[in-house]
Amino acid sequence: MRSIKRHLGDINAYLFILPSFVILGMFLVYPVIWSVAASFKDIQPITLRQAGLFEIPGHFVGFDHYAAALNNRLFIKAVINTLYFGVIFIPITMLGSIVLAMLVNKKLPGVNMVRSVFFVPYIISVVSASLIFIFLFNGEKGLVNALLSQIGISGPHWLTSTLWAMPVIAIMTCWRNIGYFMLIYLSGLQNIPKDLYEVADVEGATALQKFKYVTWPLLGRISLVVIILLMINSLNVFQEVYIMTGGGPGDSTITVPFLIFNRAFKYYEIGPAAAMSYLLFIVVVIVTIIQKKIVNNRLG
Amino acid sequence: MKTKNITQTIVLWMIGIIFLLPIYWLFVSSLKSDSEITRFPPTFWPETIVWSNYPEIWELLKFQVSFTNSFLVTVPTVILTVLFSSMAGYAFSKKRFLGKNTLFVLLIATMTVPPTVLLLPLYFIITKLGMFDSLIGLIVPFSVTVFAIFFTKQYIDDIPNEMLEAAKVDGSSDFHTFFTIVMPLLRPALTALIIIDTVQNWNSFTMPLVLLQSEDKFTIPLKLALMAQDTVAIPWSKILAANVLSLLPVLILFLSLQKQFVAGLMAGSVKG
Repeated sequence: MRSIKRHLGDINAYLFILPSFVILGMFLVYPVIWSVAASFKDIQPITLRQAGLFEIPGHFVGFDHYAAALNNRLFIKAVINTLYFGVIFIPITMLGSIVLAMLVNKKLPGVNMVRSVFFVPYIISVVSASLIFIFLFNGEKGLVNALLSQIGISGPHWLTSTLWAMPVIAIMTCWRNIGYFMLIYLSGLQNIPKDLYEVADVEGATALQKFKYVTWPLLGRISLVVIILLMINSLNVFQEVYIMTGGGPGDSTITVPFLIFNRAFKYYEIGPAAAMSYLLFIVVVIVTIIQKKIVNNRLG
Repeated sequence: MKTKNITQTIVLWMIGIIFLLPIYWLFVSSLKSDSEITRFPPTFWPETIVWSNYPEIWELLKFQVSFTNSFLVTVPTVILTVLFSSMAGYAFSKKRFLGKNTLFVLLIATMTVPPTVLLLPLYFIITKLGMFDSLIGLIVPFSVTVFAIFFTKQYIDDIPNEMLEAAKVDGSSDFHTFFTIVMPLLRPALTALIIIDTVQNWNSFTMPLVLLQSEDKFTIPLKLALMAQDTVAIPWSKILAANVLSLLPVLILFLSLQKQFVAGLMAGSVKG
């Protein structure tokens, strides 16, 4: 009896863990299992309505949905659009947040206030931010085109242009996120020992050399984490697209999550939507594993 | 050196102004008249300030319903998240139980799950549990977060074991110790967690979009998004006025508790 008790550990521990265990099990772990099962099945919405909570109806179709997704023109288009978003969003956010962190790290006048200003967009909801940017980038009466016309450029109809709609969404996402990543870099900068810069000063290093040989290498670990977070952010763009463009014009802003949402909730194609979401999941896992490997190799 | 600092200050302030511009534009435009808002080039300050945009849109959208819904969802979710997650954090930090390490690894693994994967199964599960189109469906499933468990665990790790053992010797039960010793010691961490979780739940859009159907249940972001898509009648000045109203609560919360908020986010992101 006593050995069983010792093996089980502290009985009260189970009570402490119970609410989290039930909720995460039901609303996080089970959904992940449900999705993988659904991705291999041909589910009709009607049978789903009649199914029990722990029952996933429909017959097994193997990897059909996965194969179909990879051959789907719109899915490929969504992947390309998502890449287009990432190519704009990731470098701008990364560069922007490093530069701002370095500026904010100096004791310049008004620095605390400006730091808060950079952070405010992050707490604004995507819905609010999207509405603000729709208005700013309005083709006929938006502020951006008004400012451009001041310097003699006639701006395009941003959100109804297949070329410019995605960049506007990406820029909005940069605006919302730079403040957050600036804070991450700032904490990294503050962990760099001051004497390294003093040595560099004694050696007569220029500002650029100091950045290249001191700041950048010592921010390496943080930069890797930031890149991964930015990549994962890029793979999860949904709300912005839903509100700003609805995937248009001409499918040019359909991202993978937006496509999955449409498949699931507009066309009720449950199996294909689940398969696409798992393809997305696999990419995220691969990205995360690669990052872990690189961090471990570099820092032993 | 002096001139360099001046240039850097100017650059910093310029970027600050660019960052603030969208928010400035939001406030200014929300005060313009319906005719002034459609003018091109736009005016940089309203010719006549139309405060009535605010009460008008508040009435038109029955915004007090959406505000009440958002509060009814956010407050219980945050309270439950703080309670349940710190309980789990305590167990992971200070207790011994079967499968502790396996569960912890599983928990870390769930951090990689993209929200899109959960959308469809959550809709199905929550509907099966009879919580579709109800505010409960936005509270219970989201009343524990993996982030909050990690976050509280990190802080509980710092509480010395001797302190908890001393309480035990004094005859304090586990739950008594948790509520009278552990929770008060976590105060700074819990403040940060409360702010982060409040902002997250207040701003939440995708789950309400999927889980709510009747308009009298809509939360603020959902109401706002659907109003803007239905552009038939409402002029932009009023849409933006509604937008200002929707972000005032989180803005006030952020500006008054900025330090704790930022400290909390840092602790969560850098260690993890």
